[in-house]
Amino acid sequence: MYAWIWRHLPGPWPVRLLIYLILIAAIVYALFIWVFPWAEDAFNISEVTVG
Amino acid sequence: MHRKAARGRRKASRRKTQQPAPQRNVVALIAGGVGELMLTAGAVVLLFVVYTLWGTGIQTANAQDDLRDQLGLDAGQIEKDPIPLDELEVGDAYGIIRIPRFGEDWEWIIVQGTEDADLKNGPGHYLDTVDPGAVGNFSIAGHRSGHGEPFAQFPELQVGDIIEIETATGTYLYELDSAPNGDPDGNRIGIRDSWVVDPVPGEGDEAEATERRITLTTCWPRWGSSHRMYATGILIGGEEV
Repeated sequence: MYAWIWRHLPGPWPVRLLIYLILIAAIVYALFIWVFPWAEDAFNISEVTVG
Repeated sequence: MHRKAARGRRKASRRKTQQPAPQRNVVALIAGGVGELMLTAGAVVLLFVVYTLWGTGIQTANAQDDLRDQLGLDAGQIEKDPIPLDELEVGDAYGIIRIPRFGEDWEWIIVQGTEDADLKNGPGHYLDTVDPGAVGNFSIAGHRSGHGEPFAQFPELQVGDIIEIETATGTYLYELDSAPNGDPDGNRIGIRDSWVVDPVPGEGDEAEATERRITLTTCWPRWGSSHRMYATGILIGGEEV
């Protein structure tokens, strides 16, 4: 999977590396902003109220 | 099928320059892909841990700054004329809570309401409970892990500890008469045990309150929420503005 992505990125290797890192950073950002807050709500792992 | 693959492998090892048999290639590809997916899933779970322990705190710290501005704090005191408590909207800055047991500088801005969206900004005031200083049971919920973990040291609360609340109407001192007392499982209750926030704890919401109480709730265990933990106390002093 990762090798396949690497082969399909354009440019010489430093450019590919840069694109790859940006891609990973974007995915991590999306996880923190959307996915993890959703998961926290969905799994009820931090409830502190009674009733 | 089996035999062919085996023969292919033998051939490949004998003649290293030759391409491996196509079947083996496919199996290796699938195994490699599954392996990569599993590694990725592991990394995502680790990232989620980082998010709950640390990531949630960044948002909370920013929210607390905004809430401080909303209260018009000056040198730790509510200075300007803030909105009267009964006109506050859910999510607004409500007041300040100080618990010396958690440290001299331990100070959090309380928000109005106890929905998830409120509590991620700071400890929240249960909407159905009275305001501080009033006859009844002024109740607050707060996180013990993640979201800035205001109540991280909750089990260390002792009977006799002072809880200080400051709002637009004054400063109120409560003394705990029931607390975990250092026991990590102390004062553990079920998630539906809302009697702790009743006007008279344990007497149902119809009972006529005569005492001026405070109740704090948080999660139990610290890194989960299968149960809750509480501490409660009674007003011993303070001054109205």
